[in-house]
Amino acid sequence: MPSVPAIIGDFSVLPVTVPPLPSFPKNVVHYLYVRRNNPKIPTATDARSLFLTNVPVDSTEVHLRALFASLVGAGRFESATFEDERKDAHSQSHSPIDVAHPAHVARPQQAHSKKRKREDEEVERARGEEAATRLPSTWTRPLRRSGSTAVVLLADEKSVEQVLKAIAKTHKTKKYPTWGDDNLPQGKVSPLGSVWLKAHNRLSYPDRQRLQASVDAFSALFARREQEAAEIAKRLRNEPDEDGFVTVTRGGRAAPASRTEAEEAKRKMLEKQEKKKEELTNFYRFQLRERKKAEQAELLKKFEDDRRKLEALRVKRGKFVPES
Amino acid sequence: MDSAPAKRRKLNHKKDATDVALESAASTGVSRSRAFVLETEELLDSVRLDYGAALEGADDLLHRIKGVVEGIKAHEPLPVAEAAFKLEKKHKIKVPFPDPRPQENTNYKVAFAKPAQFNVVGSYVSKTMITTQKSHGVDMVLVLPQEILQEKDYLALRYFYKRAYYLAVIAAALQKELGSEAQLSYEQLNGNHLCPVLAIQPTASNSRDLDKKTLDYRIRIIPCAPDGFFPKAKLHLGASLIRKGREGVANASTEPTPFYTSTLVAETCFLSYLKVLKQAEKKCAAFKNACILGRIWLQQRGFGGDISQGGFGHFEWAVLLALLLQGGESKGQAALSASLSSTQLFKALIQFLSVTNFAEKPCDFGSGNADLEALLEHGPILYDSTRQLNIAFKMGPWSAALLHQHARWTRSLLADSTADQFNPIFILKTDVPSHSYDLIARINLDKASEETGADARGQTWQLSTKVYRILKRALADKEMGQRARLIHIQAQARPTWPLTEEPKAPETSPLEIGILFDPVNMARTVDRGPSAGPSAQEKEECERFRRFWSDKSELRRFERDTIRETLIWTSTTPFDLCEEIMRYVLGLHLRIGQLHDEITVYGNGLPALLSLKPADTALFNVAKKAFGTLERDIRDLEDLPLRASGKWPESLVAIQRTKIAFLLMIGRLLESSKPTEIKTHVGLEDAKYETENLAFLDVLYESGPSFRLRIHSDLEESLLERQVKDKTAEQYLRQRATTLLATFRRLYTNLPLHGQYISTSGTRFPALSPTIRLVKHWFNAHKLSYHFTEEFIELAVLHVFLTPYPWDAPTSASTGFHRTLLFLAHWDWRSEPLVLDTSGEMSAAERSSIATRLEAWRKIDPNMNHTVLFVATAQEPSGVAWTTLDGQPKPSKVVATRMTALARTATRLVRVQGVELDCRMLFVPSLKDYDVLIHLNSKAVKSTLKTYATIDPQEEGESLGRPTKFKNLDERTGLEPLPLAQHPAELFLEHLSAAYGGPLVFFRGGVEDSTIGAIWNPQMQKRTFKINLPTSYKPVAGEKRSSGGEDGDGEEDYVEVNKEAILSEIARIGADLIDKIEVKGA
Repeated sequence: MPSVPAIIGDFSVLPVTVPPLPSFPKNVVHYLYVRRNNPKIPTATDARSLFLTNVPVDSTEVHLRALFASLVGAGRFESATFEDERKDAHSQSHSPIDVAHPAHVARPQQAHSKKRKREDEEVERARGEEAATRLPSTWTRPLRRSGSTAVVLLADEKSVEQVLKAIAKTHKTKKYPTWGDDNLPQGKVSPLGSVWLKAHNRLSYPDRQRLQASVDAFSALFARREQEAAEIAKRLRNEPDEDGFVTVTRGGRAAPASRTEAEEAKRKMLEKQEKKKEELTNFYRFQLRERKKAEQAELLKKFEDDRRKLEALRVKRGKFVPES
Repeated sequence: MDSAPAKRRKLNHKKDATDVALESAASTGVSRSRAFVLETEELLDSVRLDYGAALEGADDLLHRIKGVVEGIKAHEPLPVAEAAFKLEKKHKIKVPFPDPRPQENTNYKVAFAKPAQFNVVGSYVSKTMITTQKSHGVDMVLVLPQEILQEKDYLALRYFYKRAYYLAVIAAALQKELGSEAQLSYEQLNGNHLCPVLAIQPTASNSRDLDKKTLDYRIRIIPCAPDGFFPKAKLHLGASLIRKGREGVANASTEPTPFYTSTLVAETCFLSYLKVLKQAEKKCAAFKNACILGRIWLQQRGFGGDISQGGFGHFEWAVLLALLLQGGESKGQAALSASLSSTQLFKALIQFLSVTNFAEKPCDFGSGNADLEALLEHGPILYDSTRQLNIAFKMGPWSAALLHQHARWTRSLLADSTADQFNPIFILKTDVPSHSYDLIARINLDKASEETGADARGQTWQLSTKVYRILKRALADKEMGQRARLIHIQAQARPTWPLTEEPKAPETSPLEIGILFDPVNMARTVDRGPSAGPSAQEKEECERFRRFWSDKSELRRFERDTIRETLIWTSTTPFDLCEEIMRYVLGLHLRIGQLHDEITVYGNGLPALLSLKPADTALFNVAKKAFGTLERDIRDLEDLPLRASGKWPESLVAIQRTKIAFLLMIGRLLESSKPTEIKTHVGLEDAKYETENLAFLDVLYESGPSFRLRIHSDLEESLLERQVKDKTAEQYLRQRATTLLATFRRLYTNLPLHGQYISTSGTRFPALSPTIRLVKHWFNAHKLSYHFTEEFIELAVLHVFLTPYPWDAPTSASTGFHRTLLFLAHWDWRSEPLVLDTSGEMSAAERSSIATRLEAWRKIDPNMNHTVLFVATAQEPSGVAWTTLDGQPKPSKVVATRMTALARTATRLVRVQGVELDCRMLFVPSLKDYDVLIHLNSKAVKSTLKTYATIDPQEEGESLGRPTKFKNLDERTGLEPLPLAQHPAELFLEHLSAAYGGPLVFFRGGVEDSTIGAIWNPQMQKRTFKINLPTSYKPVAGEKRSSGGEDGDGEEDYVEVNKEAILSEIARIGADLIDKIEVKGA
C-alpha cells in the first residue's frame, strides 16, 4: 500500500482501520481529517477543541471517546458536538413557540433594558418548561451524513497538542486505531441493524400518558405566552414608540385584531373590486374593440410560438421521420 | 348584428399595416391546427425522396429493358403445354402459371409478339415515393398485343395463362441480357396469385455502395391487358367467369366470381388509372403531398396494397382521392375542392373513410348500381363505375373494418385540438399486434382444406373468410351485445420465388387473429339469446340460434318470466371467455382446434404474471367497505368537534401539538365506543421540525383492516402560505415553509382528489386498475419504484386511457400495459409536460400555461436538480405534486433517464419478438447494471416487523436463542404487537439515501424486494480537498500537490471517494439486516 500523506492542507490525516464484517469481509481504512478548531465566531473553548471532518456515519460520542483514548489515553476527552446537533442548537435559539406576536413586540422588550436580568431568569425557567413539552425521540441512535464534521472538546490545550502528535505518530508506526462497536464498553452504544429499527418502531408509539403530559405542558406554556403577547400588544396601543408615534391597531377593547381577520377583510375587498371590474367589461365599445385586437395579437403570437417550437424540434433530428 | 353604424365605418378607414397583417393571419386558416400543418410540412420535407440520387440508373435500366423486350422474336401460337415445355428446355425457366395450372391436353395456344405499349406507372412517375418505405418498386407495364389474345380469354383463367407465358418469355430474354447485373425473380402482384410479375433487382455495384443515397430499388415488369379489350358487359361484378372446377369437371354452380372478375378488370385499367391520377395531379396542386401523407398514414398502420397487408395501399388511397376530387357527390359534383391543401385533403379522406364502411354498405362512385348490395358477402365494395372496378377487391371484410376503425380513431384525434395530433398520426408505428389487440390467436393448420372455392382466391382466403364469419357471429352479435369491437385476420405475405421454380403451391400458412374487446361485454358469462316465444318468427330465430350454437344453447327462465335461449360459459376473465368461445365455435363449425396445437392463444401472459382475477374486485370492495365503517365510527363519536374550527391556535407548532391532543382523544373515544373491536395507537412521525405534522393515529380493527389517521387543519395552510410570502423572514425558513406547504397540499388537498379521480376512472375504464397494477409491478421489478410516487405511475397509466391516440382507450390490462410502456418510451420529459385533462374541460389557455410553467422551470433549473418530470392535471396544475418530495425531485434525472431507457428496451423487445414474446422477460431486472448490490437478509427483515410495547428490542436481541422464546408466546401472554410505523427495509433505505445522497443512487422495488441496487455517482470521483466534504474521501497517495509549483497558493491536495469505507459503513448500519454486499467486478 502506498504511503498515505500525513497532512492535507492544514488538516492532519487520521487513518482508522475498520475490522471486516460478515456481510463485507474486508479490512478497510477510513480517514478522518483533524485540525485545531478556529471557527469564524470564536468561542471560549476553541483553544482546547479539535475540528474533525469526515467522521464515520455511525459516529457517536462514545466512539470518539474510545478513539481519542486509544490515541492519547483516557481522561483527555470531554465531549463531542456533531454537525447536525450544532444546527439543531441554532434552530432552537429561535423559540419553537412562534406565538403570533404582532411584529413590533420585540422592540419594546429590548428597549427596557432594566428588566434584562429578570428576563434572563425567565428565559432559564422557560427552558425548563420547554424541555417538558418536547416529544420523546424515536431513535436510539442517530446517523451522521457521510463526510460530515464534528467538534471535539478536550480536557486542556495540552491534550490538543498531544492528539496531533499521536496522529503524526500513527503514520510512522502504521498502527492505526480501530473503529467499531466491538471495542466499546458494553451497553454504552445501542446497536444498529434490526435492533435499531425495532427500537425505532417501539419508540414511535410512545406511552399515551407521557404523550398527553407533554401536550398538556405545551398547551399550558403556549396559553401563557399567548396571554403575554396579547397584553404587550394591548399595552402598545397607547404607548408611543421611540419616534413618538402611536401604532394604531384594529380590534376592540378586549383584544387586537388577529391576522386572520385582517386577511379576511382584505380578501373581501378584493372580491368587491373584482366584481365591479367584471360588471364593467364588455360594456363600452372600445372595450370590445380592444379585446378583439388583443385576441388577434394573441393569435399571431401563438403562430410565432408554434413556428419557434417547430424550429426547436427540427434541431432535435429524427423527429419528423416515421418510425419503421 | 354587425350592421356597422356610420361612426364605426369612419373608424375603419384608419386601417394600418399591422391590422392588415393580423387579418391575413386570421383568414389564412391559421387556427388551432396550425401546428399540425407546420409539422406535416416538415414531415413531407424530411421523407421526400431525392429521385435523381436515390434511383440513379433506373431510367437507363428501364430503357434497356424496353430495348430487350422489343427485340424478342415473335412466334406463332403454340399449344400451352408445348410452349411451356420448350421454354423450360431452352432457358431453364418455368412459366409461373396460376393455380390451377392449365391441363396438359388443353388446346389453348399461346404466342408472343411485341408489346403494344410500354409504360412506367405508379409512384415512380407520380414521385410520391418516400424514404421510409419498406421497399421501392418501379413499375413498368407492358400491354399485351391484341393479336395474341382472344375475346373469350376472360373465361376460366385463359387470359392469365397467356399472361404468365408472356411474362416467362420476357424473363428468359432479360435474364440472358442482364446476366449477373441484376437478380431476377417472380413475385405476385399485390399478393394476387393470378398475376405473377417479374422483379428485377439490380445487383449493388461498388460505386453504388459508396454512395449511401442510392436505395435498393427493384423494377417490376407487369404485363397487362389492352384497355377495353374484353367485353365490358361480361365483366360486371356479379359475373361468374370460372365455370370449371379444378379437375376440369364442369362446375354446375354459377356462383359469382367477383375477385377473379375484378382482377381481370384491374388488368385492363392500368393506363386509365394512370390517366386519372395524372389529371388529379394537374388539377390539384396538393394532390401529390396528400398521397404521400396517405402513404405514411397507411404504412404506419400496417396497410398496403398487398392482400396480406389489407389490400388498401397507396394506389387505392390515391385513386380514392382522385375520384373524390372528380365526383362523389350525389349530383356528380366533386366532393372535394381542388384548392384544398394537402393536410386538408388528408383530413377529408380520413373523414370519408371514417363514415364509409364499405364492408357493410357498398360505396359506389357513379351511377347507382343496385345489385352491389348482394355481392357484399364476397367482400367490401368500393366501386368505380366508370372503369367497372371494385377498388377494394383485394380487401377482406376485416381489413375494411380495421381501416374504418383506424380512420375513426384518427378522426377523433383530429377533433381533439388539445392533444398532440402529429405524432400519433404519422410518426408512431401502430401495427404491433400486442399494442392493438387484447387477444391474439394463431391458427396453424397442417392439412390443406380441399375446396379452393370458385373465385380463385386461394385456400388461405377461403379459410380466413370462414373463420371471420363465424367469429363475427359469435363475438360481435349485436343482439346479445358485442363482445368484440374488432376482429382482424392477418395472413402471411407470399414470398418471391426464383425463375427456375414453380410457384409454391399455396399451402395454408398460419393465420393470425386479433381481437379487440369490449371490456364490459366480454366479461359477460351468460349470453341471453332470442326469447323462446310461440310466434313463428321467434321460433325461427331460436332455430337459427340453436343451429349456430348447437349443444351449448339451453333454455333458461329469466326475471319477468321470459324464457330465452341461453349460453353459459365457464370462464371468468374476459380473456378466458373469449378464448373459450373461440375454441368452441371454431371447433364446432370448422373442426379446427381438434389437434392440440392448431390454435395458439397469446396475450394473457401479463395478467397471468400477477394472477389478476376478477375476484380481486371483491377484495378491494371489502377494503372500501371497511373504510366506510371507520368513517361511520368516527362520525358517530360524540363530543368530537369535527367541523372546520376557527379555534386553531395561530401558530404552526401549536397546531401540530393540538393535533396530537386530538388524535389522543379520537383514539380514546374510538376505543371506548367499540372496546372489543378497535385498538388505537398514536404514533410519532419521523419529523425533523416542530412545524411539521408530528403524529398519526393507527386504528386497528379486530377484523383485520387498519387505518392511519392524520388531521387536516385549514389554518396550517394559510400560516404556511404566509411564511412563504413573508419577505422579511430568513431564506432558509421560507424554503422550509415552501417544502412543508407542498407536503401539506399533497397530503390534504391533492391526494384525496387523486384517489377519488382514480377510483372513478377505474369504473369508467375496466382495464385501468389491472393495468396500473401491472405497471407498478414493472416499476417494482426494475427497482424503480423507490424513486417514484405511486400517484405518478397511476397518472402515467391514466394518460394512456385518457389520451389513447392513435387507438381508443385500452380494453385489457395487456394492451394497457404495452401502450403505457410505449408512452414512457416516447415521452420526452425534458421538454414536454404530461398533461391530464381530468376535468374533461381543460382550456387551451390552461394547457399552455402548464407548458409555460415547465419552460420556466427548465430555464431556472436547466440541470434539473429540482424539477424533472412534470405531471399536471386539471386539479393540480402546478405539475410537481407527484414528482417532487420534500423539495427533492422524485425521480431524479438519472433515474428518469433510466426509466425511459428501460421502457425503450421493453418496447423494442415487444416489437421484435411480437406475440411470441415471453412476457416474463419484460420483468427481469438487469442486476449487472448496478455497481453495488446489497442483499438483505429477508429473515432478519421479517423479524423486525413485530415489536412489542413492553419488550425492549435490545434485550430481546440478547435473549435470542434462550428457550424462553416460544412461538405461541404472543397468544399466551396476551401481548399484541405494535403497528408498523414504516416498513423497516424502506426506513433503512431512507437512512442510507439521506447519508449518501451524493455518492450513491439506490434502487429498490416493492416491499418484498430484498436486493438493493446502487450506482456510484460518476460526477463524484476525485476532487480537491475541502472542509465540507460531500461524502467520505480518502487521500490520493502520490498525487499530492500536483497543480502546485511556482506559487505556494496553487497547492492542491487530491482526495477520492473512499468507496470501501462507505460500503463498510453501510454494512455496520445494516448489521444483521444485510446478508452480503456485492461489488461489481470484485
